[in-house]
Amino acid sequence: MAYVVKRLLIMLPVLFIVSVLVFSLIHLIPGDPAQVILGQDATPSGLAALRAQLGLNEPLVMQYLHWVGRVLQGNLGHSLVDGTPVLNLILQRLPVTLELALGTFIVSLLVAFPLGILAAVYRGKFGDTVALFSSSLGLSVPPFWLGIILLLAFTVKIHLFPSSGYVPIWQNLGQNVWTMILPIAATGVREAAVLMRMLRSSLLDVLHQDYIRTARAKGLVGWLVIVRHALKNALIPVITTGGLQLAGLLGGLVITETVFSLPGFGSLLVQSIFSRDYTTIQGAALVIAVLVVVVNVLVDLVYGLVDPRIHFGKESA
Amino acid sequence: MKSKHLTAVLATVVALTTVTACGTSGTTTNNSTSTAPSGGSGTSTTTLNIGLSADPPKLDPSLSSALVDREVMINIYDTLLQLGSDNQIKPDLAKSYTVSPDGKTYTFTLQQGVTFQDGTPFNAAAVKFNLERDMEKISPRHAALAAVASIDTPDDSTVVINLKKPFSPLLSILTGRTGMMVSPTAVQKEGKDFVNNPVGTGPFQFKERVKGDHITLVKNAHYWQSGEPKFDTLTYKIFTDPNVEYMNLQSGAVQIVDAVPAQQLQSLTQNSAYSVVNKPGFGYQGIWFNVKSGPFTNQYLREAVDQAINRQTVVDVVLKGEGTPGYSPFSASSPAYNASEDTPPTPDATKIKQLLTQGGQPNGFSFTMQIAASPVTAQMAQVIQSMLAQYGIKMEIQQLEFGTLLANSENGGFQAMQLGWSGRLDPDQNIYSFFYTGGPLNSANFSNPQVDQLLDKARTETAMDQRAQTYSQVMDILHQQAPYAFLYHQHNVIAYTNKLQGFEYVSDGLIRAGNLSMK
Repeated sequence: MAYVVKRLLIMLPVLFIVSVLVFSLIHLIPGDPAQVILGQDATPSGLAALRAQLGLNEPLVMQYLHWVGRVLQGNLGHSLVDGTPVLNLILQRLPVTLELALGTFIVSLLVAFPLGILAAVYRGKFGDTVALFSSSLGLSVPPFWLGIILLLAFTVKIHLFPSSGYVPIWQNLGQNVWTMILPIAATGVREAAVLMRMLRSSLLDVLHQDYIRTARAKGLVGWLVIVRHALKNALIPVITTGGLQLAGLLGGLVITETVFSLPGFGSLLVQSIFSRDYTTIQGAALVIAVLVVVVNVLVDLVYGLVDPRIHFGKESA
Repeated sequence: MKSKHLTAVLATVVALTTVTACGTSGTTTNNSTSTAPSGGSGTSTTTLNIGLSADPPKLDPSLSSALVDREVMINIYDTLLQLGSDNQIKPDLAKSYTVSPDGKTYTFTLQQGVTFQDGTPFNAAAVKFNLERDMEKISPRHAALAAVASIDTPDDSTVVINLKKPFSPLLSILTGRTGMMVSPTAVQKEGKDFVNNPVGTGPFQFKERVKGDHITLVKNAHYWQSGEPKFDTLTYKIFTDPNVEYMNLQSGAVQIVDAVPAQQLQSLTQNSAYSVVNKPGFGYQGIWFNVKSGPFTNQYLREAVDQAINRQTVVDVVLKGEGTPGYSPFSASSPAYNASEDTPPTPDATKIKQLLTQGGQPNGFSFTMQIAASPVTAQMAQVIQSMLAQYGIKMEIQQLEFGTLLANSENGGFQAMQLGWSGRLDPDQNIYSFFYTGGPLNSANFSNPQVDQLLDKARTETAMDQRAQTYSQVMDILHQQAPYAFLYHQHNVIAYTNKLQGFEYVSDGLIRAGNLSMK
């Protein structure tokens, strides 16, 4: 517990650094919100008036301090484009991406585990070849392309799934699942392929260890050797990869969101960058940073569950 | 993380648009093969789903700067005057108007008995409120109403606009966002949040939106035009990728779309289940030359580039029929259209060589052109690059994100830049600010006293033929000085399922939903 608290406290400097970096970087891009808001119709006097209204004339340090001050009070501010509270925008979009990321992650686990074990156990045999071939295929097919193909096949040619029209999970679970199947399939394939390869090679290492031979020698059934002795020891690198994948998915699903017209977090971030919506960009970046830190803490905790030799807070193995 | 997203998005967009096949142009509809969505997931007689190619940022006509805003606003708000399908200005909320002989006083008589969707009566005070709101500095409408001196409301249904000097574009301006009337009560009540809770007098009223996903409007049960609207609900669905939008039309998720990817235009046009409109809008695309710094301070070099581009090839190769070669700001839809001024030159090697020699660069020169990061623009730039290379002119292409491009256009941070204009009904709005000395849209920093004088003159002329003649004099100078290489007029492309009836095309390219219904 103390470990978790400590890890979460370390998050504070991380968030500070992320916020400073994001703040400086977005102010380095040419163009400002006033310019983008007024667009081509802008007149110099209009630009000046809008900049003053949006508080863009203050020195950057002051703008940053004002923003941090509000954030510390739990207020992420309002969108510079239309005044919507940034928190509302995030809460509207985040569940979509969380669902997509978690769904993708779960599906990739469900696919990667059986295939990875199969491939390692039957190394060099037909099963392995099939598994390796499908994972190469999965790795080389870009998710957006697969998405377009799935859309063409299952929404245009066969009207099986809706091509757009996300329904929130709390409004209608059935419809929600129905709209999420194709996007999850499109992103899940690649993630599953990565995990499966990782699991296969990690299992192959373990299967050559002496303790596996011992386990077999003492007469344990094949699948028990795999599950109880081999898999447990092979999991650490797989968990690391899985954690990185999940963290990556949380901020990197914008392409899938575009193809399947999902109102997700990734597209919110991209749109706000295009419109120089500083407050929304900063709020969204903070949320992503928090999520990534949380995922990392979770991964560390899972290490401990899987491998009792790993202790937290003390000298660890 | 940010740049990763940006590159990822750009990469996808580029990749997505190369996924599909090819084809060339056509103007309207029908025949041969029919592949329509069978069951029609979502086809209903009470709800119309409209596909939009961008998310409208602001649904407040006084603050809107993105063209796509108008798609939604045209169904929430009525305008004082409206553009008819015959390109004539017609009454709308103003049932008639008179213009004083000196062109400085415009008197409007308003429709009576009209109320806003929140019950506020529409009257002269509301019109004055709206126009004064547009005249505030932070409104992008500010410049369009700069000529207004004062607004009088002698009675409830009469509005008098007094101008500082004659300004003939006023009437056409009132058919656009400046003429859209918002409820004063709602503005006072919502304040800055009005943009998220818009209220007008139009056939549909705002219900809700999820940014980046959809906007829902519902029937205005008290609409003053009898028999309209026919649908109970309008849902705008946002598709930032044109191929995705196209697939959603085919899957039946939307029944009408505001864009069709150029590669798909031909096959869709031949599909008898859909109707396709493909006509020139009011806008134009071209290349700005920075006349204040870099190689293009030299007029001959500007002319050489301008003369070396074969517009027909650009349109055929890149736009596949979704554009018309052009050489002026006025397309065939514009009241100031002049065929001879708008016909681009055919590249003539001898003449181009001569221009290069006069410019002191007989063997060619190098420059950088900045373009927006879109696949179509990139492809166009590459085609132009190869055309110029024939004459030893080496053009480097620099792709920039739109916000950056706009900033550079404002501060002169470029040598050449591909940037166009979405276009407005009145010719003045497509030329004045672009070529007048110090004009806000004059990215080239071009200045010519004669052009200034002619542009001012056109504003005071009331007859359109007379104005068109003045503009043609301006064009002669612009063609010779070439601060801008006009390339083509982009088309308005609208496609819809044939089950939809009542669609009437207007040159502004907007989908007016009041009269639409499902068979």
